[in-house]
Amino acid sequence: MIHRIKDENGVTVVAFEGDVDLESSPEARRILLDCLGRTSSLLVDLSAVTYIDSSGIASLVESFQNARKAGRHFALVAVSGSVLSVLRLSRLDKVFTIYDTLEDGLARAG
Amino acid sequence: MDGREQKPEKVIEVRDLVAHYGERKILNGVSMDVYAGEIMVIIGGSGSGKSTLLRHVMALEHGTSGTVKILGRDPAALDAKEALDLRKKIGVAFQGGALFSSMTVGENIMLPLYEHTVLDRTTMEIMARLKLEVVGLAGFEDLMPAELSGGMVKRAAFARAIIMDPKILFCDEPSAGLDPVIAAALDDLLLRMREAMGMTIVVVTHELESAFSIADRITVLDQGRILLTGTTEELRETKIERIQNLLQRRTEEEIVDPEEYLERLMGERSGERARL
Amino acid sequence: MPSSDTRNPLTRFTERMGRTVVAGVEEVGYCGVLVAQSLFWLVAGPRLKQPVRVDSVFVQMMEVGVRAVPIIALLGGAIGVMLAIQGVHTLRIFGAESRVVIGIALSVTREFAPLITGILVAGRSGSALAARLGIMTINQEVDALTVMGINPVRFLVVPALIALMVMVPALTFFSGLVGLFAAGLYVGADLGISMAAYVDQTIEILSTDDVMHGMGKSLIFAALIAVIGVANGASVTGGAEGVGRATTRAVVQAITAIVLTDMIFAFVVTR
Repeated sequence: MIHRIKDENGVTVVAFEGDVDLESSPEARRILLDCLGRTSSLLVDLSAVTYIDSSGIASLVESFQNARKAGRHFALVAVSGSVLSVLRLSRLDKVFTIYDTLEDGLARAG
Repeated sequence: MDGREQKPEKVIEVRDLVAHYGERKILNGVSMDVYAGEIMVIIGGSGSGKSTLLRHVMALEHGTSGTVKILGRDPAALDAKEALDLRKKIGVAFQGGALFSSMTVGENIMLPLYEHTVLDRTTMEIMARLKLEVVGLAGFEDLMPAELSGGMVKRAAFARAIIMDPKILFCDEPSAGLDPVIAAALDDLLLRMREAMGMTIVVVTHELESAFSIADRITVLDQGRILLTGTTEELRETKIERIQNLLQRRTEEEIVDPEEYLERLMGERSGERARL
Repeated sequence: MPSSDTRNPLTRFTERMGRTVVAGVEEVGYCGVLVAQSLFWLVAGPRLKQPVRVDSVFVQMMEVGVRAVPIIALLGGAIGVMLAIQGVHTLRIFGAESRVVIGIALSVTREFAPLITGILVAGRSGSALAARLGIMTINQEVDALTVMGINPVRFLVVPALIALMVMVPALTFFSGLVGLFAAGLYVGADLGISMAAYVDQTIEILSTDDVMHGMGKSLIFAALIAVIGVANGASVTGGAEGVGRATTRAVVQAITAIVLTDMIFAFVVTR
């Protein structure tokens, strides 16, 4: 898994690429929690994620709840079909704020 | 392989497997392939060898002869590290649940994570709760296994089996001893999990209804041999009498060999007792 | 294999003997393998990122050791008093009652403390270990560990083995102290020796060698209890009844092994 962080007009966008699995999810979690400490609005771009397992999902859940408690904006953008079906299995598609595209997400977050 | 490239990847490959229990032959040359993403149901009466076959494809036992390959590897030929890597890709829901009675449901489910990963405790707990959500046991993580009903134990066992997001899930008699409604819900759960996670699922059962409702393909095992492997339609249309009898729950008149029967009655063939 | 046998009785007897011996050797071999595997996981576990869990060792130590303290104190004390009574009674024949302290000090430290502790722990913890493993085996919990990639020896056996190897010598030491003290109370009351004088005498009599003799034996007893408990528990077949049989077998075998080992140890070391 690799990741890129960019700043778009005060909105932090974290883009993960590759597999978010048991090996890499501790790093993903650290990155997400780190970013949340520095920004008021965080978008997680999952378009290039080929596979995410439940440890990755768990890291997203934890970050989302932390963001809510701190009154910060947190959303997933460009969620691929395979990731979405994993989210659906545990009904998390109804919990996360999900935008179809990054542009969409930036427009709403801004 | 075998030149059939268009077929999906074989995740389990059993070739001419022969297995003995003591001196009795349980499996007599079994060959079976399971492809990625399918639900393969193994059915057969008691004593047909289906549980033994399952133990072999879970790499709990190694056969007398023949080969078993799981995800392309022969578990009998792996060193400790490779075997562990293979184990991490396999989840098993045992018939009786096999939850550890000294641990809470949550600790049971987290145990593989605790033993094999360096995840943060919070992550592990969220994962365990996610799996409990999936199996419909949300909020039960602090109970002890003894406080759960039979159906709940099975669900918790499912949650533990899928905690590492395995590639292959084995289920031993998932619906045995449950009332039909709960059994149907478990079948539905298996289908949903395959759908969402693309798991390959191998189920051993003697419940025909359940077998037909979840299976992509069914393997019929009888007296240590495979009678047929095929789709549910193929199974319904087969001309093999033993299978038709099995499907219609007819008890078959056994062919009587007078000499063997007499020996059995005289207790002279004690080695032939059916294994429980 | 026909069961209504027409061969001559001697052949049958020999065959049965042979089978029993083979089974026995197999069992001893299995115990040896268990010890070897335990050592392997203890040493190599951390390197394979599968360490033996310290917390489960502590849980076992509480169960095996700390919870046994009251009953060990009771038995240790009773043995001490019993030895004092018998010693005084016997030595009175020669008018040598005052020499009783030597007998008590040596026999408690070298023999009775380790033996009584070993037998008690075998009955208390050896049986519990066999029952726990037996139940786990028939509930497929051991299989579940294996398919999860958790080695059952590392997860179940090593913590129990370590706990026993630490706690049995500790309990033996404690039992010896209580036994000597209780004997001292009786001797003091009966012969009018002061406690201080009794303690002085005892310390003078006992050498490090005597203490190590007792402790060394208790270490071996601990390993025997653990390995025999595990071997019986892991080989359970036949449901709840099987667990009961395995538990009983574990206790009987462990106590037999302890007493025989004690004799051999005494024979080899003392002479």
